[in-house]
This record gives sequence, C-alpha cells and structure tokens, in this order.
Amino acid sequence: MAKPRRPKAPDRTVAVVPKHHALVRLTHWANVPLLFGLIATGLAIYWAAPVFTHAPDPVTGSRDYLADLGILVARLLGDRGGSPPKWVYEHFSLGTGQLAGSLRLHWLLAYLFMLNGLLYAVGLTAGGGWRALLPRSSDLPGGVAMIRYYLGVIPHAIRRKPWPHPTVKSKYNALQRGAYFVMPLVGALVVLSGWAMHKPAQLGWLERLFVNYDGARIVHFGCMLILGSFVVPHVIFVIADGFDTFRSMITGWSLRVRGAGHD
Amino acid sequence: MTRRPAKPKGPSLIERFAERLAEPPEVAHGASERALKTQSRRDFLLFGAGAAAAAAGAWWLLPERTKARILPGATFDRLDTMAARVGLSRGNRERFLNRVLTFDDDVAEALYSQERRVRTYARSEVTPLKPNYNGRPPTIASLADWALELTGLASGETVRLTLADLAALALPTREQVTRLVCVEGWSAVAWWSGVAFADLLRAHPPAPGTRWAAMRSEVNLGRAGRPDPYFVSLDLVTARHPQTLLATRLGGRPLPIEYGYPLRLLAPVKLGLKNIKAITHIAYEAEEPADYWNLRGYSKYDGL
Repeated sequence: MAKPRRPKAPDRTVAVVPKHHALVRLTHWANVPLLFGLIATGLAIYWAAPVFTHAPDPVTGSRDYLADLGILVARLLGDRGGSPPKWVYEHFSLGTGQLAGSLRLHWLLAYLFMLNGLLYAVGLTAGGGWRALLPRSSDLPGGVAMIRYYLGVIPHAIRRKPWPHPTVKSKYNALQRGAYFVMPLVGALVVLSGWAMHKPAQLGWLERLFVNYDGARIVHFGCMLILGSFVVPHVIFVIADGFDTFRSMITGWSLRVRGAGHD
Repeated sequence: MTRRPAKPKGPSLIERFAERLAEPPEVAHGASERALKTQSRRDFLLFGAGAAAAAAGAWWLLPERTKARILPGATFDRLDTMAARVGLSRGNRERFLNRVLTFDDDVAEALYSQERRVRTYARSEVTPLKPNYNGRPPTIASLADWALELTGLASGETVRLTLADLAALALPTREQVTRLVCVEGWSAVAWWSGVAFADLLRAHPPAPGTRWAAMRSEVNLGRAGRPDPYFVSLDLVTARHPQTLLATRLGGRPLPIEYGYPLRLLAPVKLGLKNIKAITHIAYEAEEPADYWNLRGYSKYDGL
C-alpha cells in the first residue's frame, strides 16, 4: 500500500511590506558583537587609569568611581566571589590587569566598527534611507504622544481598557526617528573622540575640539554610556512589539501592513 | 572614419550599484507565501551562521585569563582544543593581533608629519606628573660614575659623555612645556629643559645607513630591586623632531632620580613608555631594535 502522501499546502499570496535594506540589516547586527567587545575591552583599558576619580577613600583606598560602584553592587548582591573594587571590571570588561591585550583587541574592533559605520553611512546616503531618519517638525508632539502612550500601556492593560497606539504615518514614530537619528551621530562622536585620544599630536585639531586630552576621554566614555543604554529600551521595545519586528531586521520585510489592523 | 553603431545604452555600473542600494518604498505588495518562507529560512540560517562565527571569533580572540573566568575547568580545555583543531590556536591569535597592531602603527606612520608640533602650554598650566618608573629607580650609588655611551657613530668610535662633557658641547638649551601621555590613559603637562636630540646628532653624527637609535638604561631596577635594563627603539626621524629632547631638568630643577636623572628622553610625539629615563647607552643601528614593552604585548610604534 502506498504511503499516504501529506498533501502539500497550496501556495497563497500574502501582503508584505519592505522594511530594511540588506546593508542596514548587516551593519545593524555587526554592531552587536562590535559594541559589546568595544565596551568590554574599553572598560579594561579604562581600569588602568580611570578619568573619573576622587581623593582616596580612607576605608577602601579607592580613587575610582567605577570601583566605588563595584563595591556598592557587590555589597548589595552579597557577592563574596571576588574583590569588590574590581566588581564592575570583572563583570563588564575583560578583567583587570589586561591592558596590553585589551588595547590590541580595542584597535581591531575599532577599525571594524569604523568600517561598519562607513558601510552604513554610504548605503544610507546612496540609497536614500536617510530621509526616513531626518527629524520633522511634527516630532515634538509626536514624541509626547508616544511617551503618553507607553506610560499608559500597563495601566490600561490592567484595567482591560482599550488604549490605541497613536497613528504613525511614516516608517518610524517620532521617538524611533529621534533615536535612529541620534545614534549614528553618537557613533561618529565616539570614533572622533577615540582618534583624538589615539593621536593627539598628529590630530591636534581634533584633540582641541574636545578641549584637551581628558576632554576626549570624557566624551568617549559618555558616548559609550549613551550607546550602551540605548540597547536596553531598544531590546525591550522589540520584545514588546513581537516576532514580526525582530524578523524584519533579519529578512527585511514585515507582514504588518499599515492600515490592516496594526498601528 | 567609421562610426560604431550606437548601442542601446543600459544603466551604467554606478547606476546599477545605486539601484541595488536604493531603499525600497514602504508599499505593501503581494508575495508568494512559499517564496517568503524559503527566503526567511535562508536569512535566518545566514543570521545563525554569522552569530556562530562571531562567537567562535570572540572565543579565539579573548585573553586566556578572561576565558578561564567565563568558563572554568574542563569545558574551557575542551573548547580550546576544538578551536585549535580548526586553526583558531593561540599562536595564530598572537600573530593576527600583532598584525592588527602593526596595521595601526602603519596608519599612525601615514598620519605623521615631521613639521607638526605638539601643543605647548604655559608654565602655569603644569599638572602633577606620576613618576611611574618601571620597577624601581636606580640607586644613587649606581649613578655615581654615570656617563652616556654613544656607539654606531660616523667616526666609528665609542663616545662616553658625562654631564660635564655634555655641557662642554655647548648645545643650546631647549625649554618646553608639553603633555606626556601614558599608554595607561593618564597624561600630565610638565616643564622640561635639556638639549635637542637633533643637536646631539649634529655634534656626534651617526654612521651612514643607520635609521634607529637603540636607547638603553642599564641602571634600571626591577620591582624586586634586581637589575632590569629598560630599552626602547626610536627612529632617527622622530629623534630629529624639534620637540624631541634629551632632558636634564624638570620644572626648572635638575631631574629627580625617579623622573630620570641624570638624562632622559622626552619625545612628546610618542607615548610615555618610549620616553626612557636614566639613559646609559645610545646605539645607532640600521635594523629596528627591540622595545621592552613591545616584547610584553604593547605596540612598538607608540606614536601620538
């Protein structure tokens, strides 16, 4: 007796919307390991000579605010595993006492990060994708509407009341547009402040742009904090928005057709 | 003259390239569900392959101490063996990362201009300077019969210069207030005085064909107090930079022992670790000499 063949589902036509260009998807995902590695090696470099310091603490002997933070966190978590002043460096960096190795890795990742950024910038400029990121005059009220919406999501869900998403007529809502506009600029700033530190003699004009050597270090650290903290809401919103949004950054298309239920 | 028949003009290479880069308009269109599934599967597989490659690369490149902390014990050893099987060995990693360092050095060398001066400051802008002696400063006794020994000279002789001999050369005194930048990340503005290295090179010219100064401090001590000679290489182009000094004074006073008494290099276009203290030997050489910290994993060029 012949095996009953599973009937092949008939092909259907579904509506899709193109979302992200392949170059945007590629450079987006390349940023994940690059930024992760740059922060981990960067903090290991920072450990060697912190720029944010105070007079030595009479009890711990610490002069470094990041070490103080580590002492605080280790105490809150009851962590007895390692040295409390090293807590931040042992959990968010390659570790202490690894300056030479961290510098080599930092340069490698920095060159790849610049290459990645260049690829993104060229693609976005030539392809016209930059237009979707430019700030608009409607962004201020649009941003306020989005914040009001996000603040209301949980209270309305608890009370089982409808809470419609503000209408978005463009590719991104005002908050997204703001973030996606600012992040590449912060990326450029982190590269510029990095070069100002790396070659302050040959690129003296760049060092002066950040006032002095330590100015470039402070800006570099600040950019790292901005880029790093962008990731938190970014990931939360993707999870909240659902699989289609995540998939669109891999495949490039979305099944969410505007005006067909969502948005 | 015959004219070629005009071909129907297709899009140029640049136009076709720009077309490929063009952001597709965000307009809904119909697509075959089966084709979408195939494409989606392909893209997710590519994504997974990329993630796996990034993880393998990260494992390969991470320092041993970091890896041992993330994954202690047998798992670490097993992964290490597996990685080495596919060529991701420690030896290959060291070679690769050292290539990265030389690439960065080449970029720095391309940026370098002999005409460019580092920024100078007013004496009132001087900031505290850490001595940061590698190991321990030399003992006073070991410096009692100090003299600078020059070899590789055009004269073919070995010249020994005491501080008095140096003064007798009557080289002009140079003063400068510049920033010294340490590889660790800190920096300090200090007021230095001494002679220009370029002037010493004129007084005692190096042999033709030499490109490097191998600078040594035999009196340097390690942390335990045992002799630990410190050595750096300096290319003669940098040695002739107008702001490269052989300094004898700091802040208007003779160099304190922990800042490099009796004579130190002050090359503000290089990181602090090139600025060797208590120099006892300068040998002009044709081949690039070794550097103390380069042998310990740091860059060799160290140009700022």
